[in-house]
Amino acid sequence: MDLTLLHEQLHNRLPLGICLLNAEYQVLYWNDFFSDRTGQSSATVQGKSLLELFPQQARYLKKKIDSVFVLSNASFSYWEHQPHVFPFSSSRPITGEETLMYQNIEFLPVEWAGESVHTICLVVQDVTELASYFLAEQQLSARLEQEHAELKALNDKLSMAQNQLLQSEKMAAVGQLAAGVAHEINNPIGFISSNLQTLQDYAARLLKLTDFYEKVISKTGNDAYLAMQRDTQQRLQFDFVRQDLPELLSESIDGIERVTDIVKNLKAFSHVDNAHWQYANLVEGLENTLKIAANQLKYKVEIHRDYAADLPEVYCQPNQINQVFLNLLVNAAQAMEHKGHLYLRAWQQGQSVCVEVRDTGPGIAPEHMKRLFEPFFTTKPVGSGTGLGLSLSYSIVQKHQGEIDVHSVPGSGASFTIMLPVAGPASAASAVP
Amino acid sequence: MNLQLTELQRDALQELMNISMGQAANALAQLIDAKISLSIPKISLVAAAEFQQIFSTDQYWFTRQSFLGSVKGEVLTLLARAGIETVGGLLHYALPLDERSEKELLLELANILAGACLRGFSTQLALPTKVSMPTLFQAAMRQADSFRWSSTLLLEVEFQLEGTAFDSRIVICLEPQSVELLLEKLNKLLED
Ligand SMILES: Nc1ncnc2c1ncn2[C@@H]1O[C@H](COP(=O)(O)OP(=O)(O)OP(=O)(O)O)[C@@H](O)[C@H]1O
Ligand SMILES: [Mg+2]
Repeated sequence: MDLTLLHEQLHNRLPLGICLLNAEYQVLYWNDFFSDRTGQSSATVQGKSLLELFPQQARYLKKKIDSVFVLSNASFSYWEHQPHVFPFSSSRPITGEETLMYQNIEFLPVEWAGESVHTICLVVQDVTELASYFLAEQQLSARLEQEHAELKALNDKLSMAQNQLLQSEKMAAVGQLAAGVAHEINNPIGFISSNLQTLQDYAARLLKLTDFYEKVISKTGNDAYLAMQRDTQQRLQFDFVRQDLPELLSESIDGIERVTDIVKNLKAFSHVDNAHWQYANLVEGLENTLKIAANQLKYKVEIHRDYAADLPEVYCQPNQINQVFLNLLVNAAQAMEHKGHLYLRAWQQGQSVCVEVRDTGPGIAPEHMKRLFEPFFTTKPVGSGTGLGLSLSYSIVQKHQGEIDVHSVPGSGASFTIMLPVAGPASAASAVP
Repeated sequence: MNLQLTELQRDALQELMNISMGQAANALAQLIDAKISLSIPKISLVAAAEFQQIFSTDQYWFTRQSFLGSVKGEVLTLLARAGIETVGGLLHYALPLDERSEKELLLELANILAGACLRGFSTQLALPTKVSMPTLFQAAMRQADSFRWSSTLLLEVEFQLEGTAFDSRIVICLEPQSVELLLEKLNKLLED
């Protein structure tokens, strides 16, 4: 048995690339793994520099080989970091996706001269199968992760939609209640108001009549009558009654007028047909809503108005838009805990109408800016804010294909601007005759 | 098995390690062109629970590498997270390191350091071994009672790259039978 021949044959049957080098990087031998893939036999490359045979990889190979010579120790190259050191293709040209071969390489010291290495052996292992399995696994898990994230986003969206639905249902219910109450109050208010007017008229006449009687008595010059009149008037404190009666009546009429106004606004706000699309004046809507929110603003806030003249009516769902105004006004009022100024502005910009609600409250922290429109985002104490106001507003404005913008300088206030297309959203316009 | 190490054996082993580690450090300094200082090698017989202590730090990366020959075991390399960029620069890696080149650097460094130590150790004691490719090792999950041995011999040395925050600890761990073999070898050396 010829052992050398056997060795040689074995070398060439190994599923490994084997290449021997001397200290000058010259190839002493390589096995069929290399010759089959380079087309150059061991004999032809003998004495040639490996670095010149693979110039593209020369730098990397030199570094690894030098480390073996300097440290007299093996060094390694991993497919994860350097997948294709030798430009060989994978071994599946027919069935597989033809790719470059993934390789692990060992650089082993094999012959020594005293303390230093003078021959090294490169062992190249084809790990394409393993690598593609591993990479596929990685891709799979990345895909799973992505799908998971998508699912989660979908879930979030769903629960957001559900909450918005709840919120708008709540608003609708409040609206209906308000409409009902307004309707009930409307009648009694009506007759109280007209009765008061009549009363005011009657009272004026009664006072005139009293004046007339006084004049008549004084004309008689009868001291006894005059004294009687004076005593009775004093007893009844008639001077005061005469002065106070008209004031009381006109105050009451003022009051009842205000109540009438509020009821009218309530009705306007809660227009029972909730999703009705129509042309509406945004400034009117804002003013109506302002009256609803008035008790939150009344004492502490000075209101400044700046409305452009001749604003076109906007095709919208007025009740929904009023809800947006209400949210913005209430937020502004809540932000300005002490005194402040509320600036309301409306103007036209191209084919849109813009309405701005600006306050001089504490403003919004930069880190909160991005989250304002998230459902449930609130900085208000538990139980006082649901954090749904702005998210609902956002979705209403979106449904109108409009925009809602925030600006805030922390410490000096916040401004919310909504911008609605005059013609309404494209879909609504085409759906309506 | 109850392994024991006499004072004499320990000193001899320490001396041998000192010489071989010095050589390793020199070779390394030559490769990366930087000054390296070495701690005195530490020799200890430890139980599994003590061994587990090595991993109770988040300041280091861990790699492991097995060796096989006349003695068997594993080399653990602890590489400081601090200063790794500097070392990357010295080894001509493109900075800043991305995740992939960082891993490549860690494995290369571990191979250089652990390989040098192990070679020193095995030539000094004439116990030839071959070392396998290093791999990164997430040790934190291992429980002390999951090890299959009760005590092991640790040969430990620390490298410090002068002028940087980088340091590294190499721990050569011998399996029990190999420890016996090593002690026999030592005794022979001491008799001579
Ligand atoms: N004008 C404003 N000034 C300062 N911060 C504001 C202003 N408007 C809104 N915010 C901030 O945005 C958060 C979310 O507002 P949003 O209207 O969505 O919910 P909320 O007012 O907290 O609760 P809800 O409207 O349900 O009562 C508020 O908690 C507040 O921190
Ligand atoms: Mg709110």
